[in-house]
Amino acid sequence: MATASVAMNAATEILMPGSEGEAIAAFGDGADVVVVGGGTIVVPEMTYRRLRPTRALMLGRAGLEGISRDGSRTTIGATTPVQALTELAAPLGPCASNIADLEIRAQATVGGNICAGAGNEAPRGDLQGAFLALGATVRSAGGGDVAEEALEEFLPKRRERLMLDVSFDEPSAGAFAALDRPHTHDYTALAVSGVRAADGTIRLAATGAGGWGTRLPSAEAAASDPEAAGQAALADVTPHDDAIASAWYRTKVLPVLVRRVLTELKESA
Amino acid sequence: MKVVGARIPRYDGVAHVTGRTAYVDDVRIPGTLWTKALRSPHHHAGITKLDTSKAEAMAGVHAVVTWQDVPLLEYGHLAALGIPADEPLLAKDEVRYKGQPIALVAAESEDLAAEAVSRIEIEFEERPALFDVREAFDAEAPQIHQEGNWYKHFEDEMDRRQIRKGDIGWAFENADTIVQGVYRPAAIEHCPVETQVCQVVPEPSGRLTIYSCTQALYFSMGVVAAHLQVPLNKLKVVGGTTGGGFGGKVDTATETMCCLLAMKSGRPVKWRWTREEEFLCSSTRAPWHMEIADAVSKDGWILGRKMLTLHDAGAYSRFSPYGLTKHSFHHTGAYTIPNLEFDGYVVYTNRTPTTAMRGFGVTSVSFAVETHMSRIADVLGLDPYEIRLKNANRIGDTSPNGIVYTDPSTVPTIQTIAESFGHELPADYRTMTSEPRTGDLLPEHLVAQTANPEEH
Amino acid sequence: MNLTVNGVAHEVESSPLTPLLDVLREELGITGPKAGCHQGGCGACTVLVDGEPRRSCLMPVGYVDSGAITTVEGLGPPEDLSPIQQAFIHHYAAQCGFCTSGMLLAGQAYIDRGGTDDDGAIQSALGGHVCRCTGYSKIVDAVAAAARGDSFDLTETAVGKHTTMATGGAE
Repeated sequence: MATASVAMNAATEILMPGSEGEAIAAFGDGADVVVVGGGTIVVPEMTYRRLRPTRALMLGRAGLEGISRDGSRTTIGATTPVQALTELAAPLGPCASNIADLEIRAQATVGGNICAGAGNEAPRGDLQGAFLALGATVRSAGGGDVAEEALEEFLPKRRERLMLDVSFDEPSAGAFAALDRPHTHDYTALAVSGVRAADGTIRLAATGAGGWGTRLPSAEAAASDPEAAGQAALADVTPHDDAIASAWYRTKVLPVLVRRVLTELKESA
Repeated sequence: MKVVGARIPRYDGVAHVTGRTAYVDDVRIPGTLWTKALRSPHHHAGITKLDTSKAEAMAGVHAVVTWQDVPLLEYGHLAALGIPADEPLLAKDEVRYKGQPIALVAAESEDLAAEAVSRIEIEFEERPALFDVREAFDAEAPQIHQEGNWYKHFEDEMDRRQIRKGDIGWAFENADTIVQGVYRPAAIEHCPVETQVCQVVPEPSGRLTIYSCTQALYFSMGVVAAHLQVPLNKLKVVGGTTGGGFGGKVDTATETMCCLLAMKSGRPVKWRWTREEEFLCSSTRAPWHMEIADAVSKDGWILGRKMLTLHDAGAYSRFSPYGLTKHSFHHTGAYTIPNLEFDGYVVYTNRTPTTAMRGFGVTSVSFAVETHMSRIADVLGLDPYEIRLKNANRIGDTSPNGIVYTDPSTVPTIQTIAESFGHELPADYRTMTSEPRTGDLLPEHLVAQTANPEEH
Repeated sequence: MNLTVNGVAHEVESSPLTPLLDVLREELGITGPKAGCHQGGCGACTVLVDGEPRRSCLMPVGYVDSGAITTVEGLGPPEDLSPIQQAFIHHYAAQCGFCTSGMLLAGQAYIDRGGTDDDGAIQSALGGHVCRCTGYSKIVDAVAAAARGDSFDLTETAVGKHTTMATGGAE
């Protein structure tokens, strides 16, 4: 029997652009548009009736998928599946591998992960930390313009823009450390990504330490002493309680993860 | 025996691996309506207004039911065991747990049913709620159940399961030390991969065909018949295929609710719970609060045990008095303790009502007893295997409720565990048997018990 | 749009944003994939799309395009069970059976991409699938056996003479 799907009411207008240009036009200024990447975050929200889109912009056919390299610069399209990142060097590779499970990684998109809104009870957007450490820039559209900016600038407005791709320069070393997940379906409670850029600069970022992915400038300033840097990192975050880890626990573990990442970066000098 | 040790085919094996097993949600009947429930958003509140007219007026909505549609609103599932009814099928004047069902809608689509639920008008007057079973037991706690905060209908209207054996005063006077412990296992959600689901077809003959995921088909049939006040031969229940139950699908009420919707709408009706409903509103294994105080001698004999158990029934009794009863009989575990003072209560809180789960009532006490044995060993500085072997049940010993053990297996089990873990036992412990105690293994406090097992 | 499921073409009317799971179960009446959570968290909805395992409860049907969908029904009928189905029967890898279709498909995809009988690799591949009955070890044993190409004499674990092969359950 053909019953109306639980997710949809007949009123939702479906937009399925076939190119980047069409996607940008369809997105417009983003008002009243729900962007659907792979669907791993948005589809359950609709199924449970928490999201009732007037217009749904399905990006799967807009040609925004793929990883390309131009010299030492890598560009990753917004609808590239998270699974495609798992073989890349740290921090991206291990960060992506630590997300969900095989099937969900194949359906989830890089853009969906970076642009994820705060979860009800769980941190989201693991990749934000890795890309922040890589000093990545994001190309996005909204209200007619297409702009490229640092990920730090993009993150506060990620819910209002249409992300097209993310780019970064190949670092000379990368590292990733995270709180172990008890099960594939647990989120990553706390993670630290670190990079030594080609010019020797150290960049560190954390996810799961409050809000969205965040740089750790106090730790970066003390990077030559991993132990001290670990303690310094606490000044850069506002940890919170959730189902898996308390704020207290996060303050105990963050310095350890920072120290491990910096030690690994030092050892790969 | 022909069967033990043989490779016996699972009768449902082939169906499972070919996708042919028909779970309730796989049954396809043309014209089936979808169901959604209005559930309490509050842990404890009075209902001051309930108006379903706007939901009923929606096109595509074929039935809305509330407590007024239920012929017998309260039916105790274990009435046959003397546990009186205390829970309405659908809430009437008040709600006592978050998620408690208040009204049900049957409509052409799941989305429409959910929309209709949102149009039911309801108003509440919130009341103080209790979530901790120990707090609920305090005299000053708010009273959240019509009977007060704990069940009062054990035999002879006792308000507890009480076991008294031997002379507990003697035990505590003669102890070298008292070892205490408090054990509080948390609730556990069964989380079957199949959520609760039911389909009901109103037949032209007037009978109701019920497709149910219940673990207890005949039991559920009786519950439906009682609530609907119809003879059993009006019901045809198709069951036996459950996507996991573990005790969580023995107290199902979805069958009755779907019957009401099917009768009112004249259409087949299906209700499939979401995973969120399953986590938030389905019954769980109970949380427990257990306090144990053992009178022990310095050479490791347990002379006596005092124990207080508070079983968290959640908002309503359901099967909790039965679970507590089983728990009570096991409060000495696999060990012989001749002097006992046990009191167990079924206590109400505003949590989701609790139910059976794998070893109903007994997993809690096993956990507490075994942990306590190790604690005793720790306090006395003795080997935890030896403490257990010393106090282990022997042939002729009696359980807390006076059952004589004819073939207890504690001794060989612990010896086997010790061997498996490479734990070296002294010679006399390695050669211990379950034979009745003699000599050093028959200390004074056990003499009286073995002399008069029936009395103890 | 058109969907090819187990080699059969179907015309689908549901909106492109409808989860594939609901299209399969509600519109096409293909009930092998199960609705365990509708959140991607249990694996019971898993189907293969061009041989790759996917959560059908998360996948908008509009994204399937011309992908060939395989559900558990497509692995093999009772009279011609595939090796992995036989392995599951032989190793008692199903109890209530509700997680089984997802496990079989994920296991089959694992073997098709060269998976071996290494327990750790199997657990990793099936890590997103929840089973509440078996404790997983027999499922891993069954996938390992199928990966090794074990063969079984199912007459000793096959359905007995007194049972039937008809679809179980409802009349």
